[in-house]
Amino acid sequence: MLGPLARLNRRDFVRMSAAGLSAAAVLGPRRARAAASPYPDWLPASQKPPKRGGVMTRASAWDPPVIDPRHTQSVGLFQFAGLTSNRLVRYPFSDEASGPADLTLKGDLAESWQSSADFRVWTFKLRQGVKWQNLPPLNGRELVAADIKYCFEQYAKEGVQAFTFQEIEGIETPDKSTVRVHLKTPNTLFPQNVAEPVAIIFAREVLEEDGDLKKRLIGTGPYTLKEHTRKVRVVLQRNPDYYDKGRPYVDEYVILSTPDAATRLAAFRTGQADFIWVASPSEAEVIRKTNPQTVVQAYHNTLAPFGVSLAQDRPPFNDVRVRRAISMAIDRQKMVDTVFEGHGILGWGVPYIYYQDAPPTAKDFGPWWQYKPAEAKKLLAEAGHPNGFETTLFYYEYFPQMTSQVQLVQQDLRKNLNINVKITKLDYTTYYGRYVEGKWDGMSWGFQSGHAIGLDERTYMYMHSKSTKNFFRVNDAVIDELTTKLRRTPDRAEQRAIAKKIVDREYDQVLRMWMPYDNGFLLFQPHMRNVAAGALRRTDGYGSPTLVRSWMEK
Amino acid sequence: MQKYVLRRLLLAIPVLLLSSLIVFSLMRVMPGDALIALMGESGNVGEKELAKLRKDLGLDRPYVEQYGLWLWQMVSLSPGHSIFTNEPIGVSLRKAIPVTLELAALAMIIGISIAVPVGVLSATRQDTPSDYVGRVVAVSGLSLPDFWLGTLVITFAAIWFHWIPPLGYVSFWDSPWRNLQQFLLPAAVLGFRLSAATMRMTRSTVLEVLREDYVRTAWAKGLAGRMVVYKHALKNALIPVVTIIGGQLGVLLAGTVVVETIFALPGMGRLTVEAILYRDYPVVQTNVMLVAATLVTLNLVVDLTYAWLDPRIRYS
Repeated sequence: MLGPLARLNRRDFVRMSAAGLSAAAVLGPRRARAAASPYPDWLPASQKPPKRGGVMTRASAWDPPVIDPRHTQSVGLFQFAGLTSNRLVRYPFSDEASGPADLTLKGDLAESWQSSADFRVWTFKLRQGVKWQNLPPLNGRELVAADIKYCFEQYAKEGVQAFTFQEIEGIETPDKSTVRVHLKTPNTLFPQNVAEPVAIIFAREVLEEDGDLKKRLIGTGPYTLKEHTRKVRVVLQRNPDYYDKGRPYVDEYVILSTPDAATRLAAFRTGQADFIWVASPSEAEVIRKTNPQTVVQAYHNTLAPFGVSLAQDRPPFNDVRVRRAISMAIDRQKMVDTVFEGHGILGWGVPYIYYQDAPPTAKDFGPWWQYKPAEAKKLLAEAGHPNGFETTLFYYEYFPQMTSQVQLVQQDLRKNLNINVKITKLDYTTYYGRYVEGKWDGMSWGFQSGHAIGLDERTYMYMHSKSTKNFFRVNDAVIDELTTKLRRTPDRAEQRAIAKKIVDREYDQVLRMWMPYDNGFLLFQPHMRNVAAGALRRTDGYGSPTLVRSWMEK
Repeated sequence: MQKYVLRRLLLAIPVLLLSSLIVFSLMRVMPGDALIALMGESGNVGEKELAKLRKDLGLDRPYVEQYGLWLWQMVSLSPGHSIFTNEPIGVSLRKAIPVTLELAALAMIIGISIAVPVGVLSATRQDTPSDYVGRVVAVSGLSLPDFWLGTLVITFAAIWFHWIPPLGYVSFWDSPWRNLQQFLLPAAVLGFRLSAATMRMTRSTVLEVLREDYVRTAWAKGLAGRMVVYKHALKNALIPVVTIIGGQLGVLLAGTVVVETIFALPGMGRLTVEAILYRDYPVVQTNVMLVAATLVTLNLVVDLTYAWLDPRIRYS
């Protein structure tokens, strides 16, 4: 049964065929553009009064593996879980954000929050009159502080959020609308952590009745989960009892499981989907040729989720000179220009918005990130490898361009340093298991999770030597000290300064070798309003909660 | 006849056993651990948690024991639960099988409807423009892979006609018209491929039969051309055609994997591919066994069809 799939790199071919054929059909031959995108990176909120009703539809590549939020941080689930459920606090929606980099925290279930002077105790005051959805066994009862306590305690016991919630020492609920969280160590960034998409509040009764959350997802959010048919559709229906009266505006949001990229494009073209994400400028252009009214938002990533990960706890990669030499031998700009048609970022791991205003340019990364093959060769010789060496690299092709990137790295290292990299392309399960186990040798195309937006998550959780999410195997005393200090620093300006020191140290020691990443585009049908994507949060993914403010003018 | 069927059914047992052994072994030797993938997202892949989950799922037992248990589950028609979704496999199959069956059946109807008339036309008008067209169509069907053709069809349908089949599967019983719209294009893509080999075989066997003495006799008797071709020649030419259709069933099922993905149909193909990617052992094993059993049965049906086509054939 698997013959055709096993023989061919189908995704590559299909994507190229679809884009190429479409282009041929509507454009005629043309060269890939390497120019900056002509599309705006921010779509301001509509000034018109919102219109109620309608069914919003999207063709989605992702299917939720399970609907139990403790068991997955997959975008398949969180493309809608943030609409069925709320968090204590949240990031701004597109109609209230000042721009794509606005990360000011807003109250969600909590109306206000404050910390003790030592940042070990955080007190959240809950919004009055929030009700669970009117579905059994909750039947629209009021949300109380004990619900939050129960949920956080369950997250600490097991699940993808465990690391965040295990830092809680205890939770008090002095009254039904106050939650007091005691942390084991000070953390000024705790509210950010509970604003992450994966920190949604689930219903105690469902877990107790069913033993898990795999069958029902009941929350306090603007939409109820009306239907989830695996590999077919997810249907969300407007929750009439939502605490934010009058919202949401759209009656139903339907997510159609559509694994094929060409089919998703076709769905958008024919109006079966109201918005879509595409990776390259040429894809956006091709769609605009057949659908000229399409509204395009040029999405700008504030970090790169992928990079070359080295077994830096063992030779030869435990020698910083080797890491620096490798970094200098890779032409990142060439990757942006060719693989991402000029619409990509050079690659960095901590969102730049936490330490500077504008996206970093090549010079911001310091000397070891510049493409200097001659110096790289000299440095590698100094490290005792004048003739290069043999190593391995394994990866999973998250998207078709990744294979081109891996091959460019292989070519650069062979040409510039005589390092012979043997590439192994793995399927997802093999790759994931091997990568997170952290016992592999040589190199891997590493990742950091896509769901998180917070500074704590992107620094302490991914880089501290004791963190279980430290997949890049960073073990640096300076980083440990800085990331811990960051958690204890309340002042925004000081936070920025420390974050900058962290990234500078990361670049200097080449602890994580980030690679270029696409920016992509979000395309909307012309009748869509208030659907812009924010920083790190695409409307079609982890940023879906913003859809509570969206409406359709048709 | 009954004896023959009984013998074939008995022979199917070792075939299925061998298939079960192969799929069970392959799943165990494949790299990648479903449980690490399942738990790994937290970054907390503790040995203790893994051991507990392994025990809960019975994956800590010796392979022989696991195999025996699984065989018993298959025989007792209770194939267990998916490791990944925890959904009973029986439930997943009840949803997926009708989709694939409908797709395969429609593809078969479309394929045969194209193949036989065009094959006959090619044969009766050998080396004429219509024969050349038929041959080009057949060679195209053989050469163009399903995924390319499917992508092409859906992309150009969207660009030229601003239409594609409605996404979001609905069953025939819920909405017959919408369901047919959803299946027509994918079935046509699959059917086109299926028709290619059948068309070639129809053409060559009809050509061969047309040169037989009894056909010449039929012409000599002054029978109408249509009568000669369709009543005397075609029926006798059909045995190899039926054989090749039977042989194509495996290709057809393989094709559903790709076509279901392109046209977003939740059939057996997508179910199996997803299960393989996540190393969902019970689902993969059950699906493969189901496909093996289906192919064995269909081959038997094809063999039995020979007697209907040619009464001289006797089973003993």
